Amino acid sequence: MKPHETKTQLHVNHIDPCPLPFCATRDDLAPLFTADVFFRGEIHTINLEDFKEKWKILFFYASDFTFV
Amino acid sequence: MAAVAAIYPPLKQLNAEVLGISTDSVYSHKVFKEISPSARKVQYPLVSDRNHRISRAYRVLDEDAGASFRATVIVSPEGTIAAKVIYPREVGRNSYELLRMLQGIQYGRETNQGVPANWVPGMPGIARRTEDIGRI
Repeated sequence: MKPHETKTQLHVNHIDPCPLPFCATRDDLAPLFTADVFFRGEIHTINLEDFKEKWKILFFYASDFTFV
Repeated sequence: MAAVAAIYPPLKQLNAEVLGISTDSVYSHKVFKEISPSARKVQYPLVSDRNHRISRAYRVLDEDAGASFRATVIVSPEGTIAAKVIYPREVGRNSYELLRMLQGIQYGRETNQGVPANWVPGMPGIARRTEDIGRI
């Protein structure tokens, strides 16, 4: 089922005016993580902090073996 | 995937590292890299977000599908989110725009100028002059 089939569209006046929770949006601190990666034929563990001095491009995609 | 691989050398020159992230296992990533012609071109690490924590924390998790949205996040060397783009269900990324965004961010930081719409490297920025307010 697609999200728009289960949700109701709200008017701006009905959106909670409270301060937003963490939205991972522009100027927010990027969440740190440790994860397994496949790289150069091997499985490694990496931390986002391994790339401290660099720009990081996080490129999220839905699934291996599909059109990305 | 291959589109991002094509701009990997210029991204490296801009002091950027690329991480491909999906909720697949590293075992899936391995076989994908071995058999998919486009994945074979990928020079950057493929991250396994099998517990969905990274995608959820970056607010790009499709909870119903258990899969990430197609999304690109640029994180600065200081660790802040500089840009975040969520793509439509139907449409693949524009890797040249990703490259342009990073070039534009860096140009803006280096020159302290505004980086206008459709700017590409080689074009001038816009000086932030108070007297120009309302004139551009």
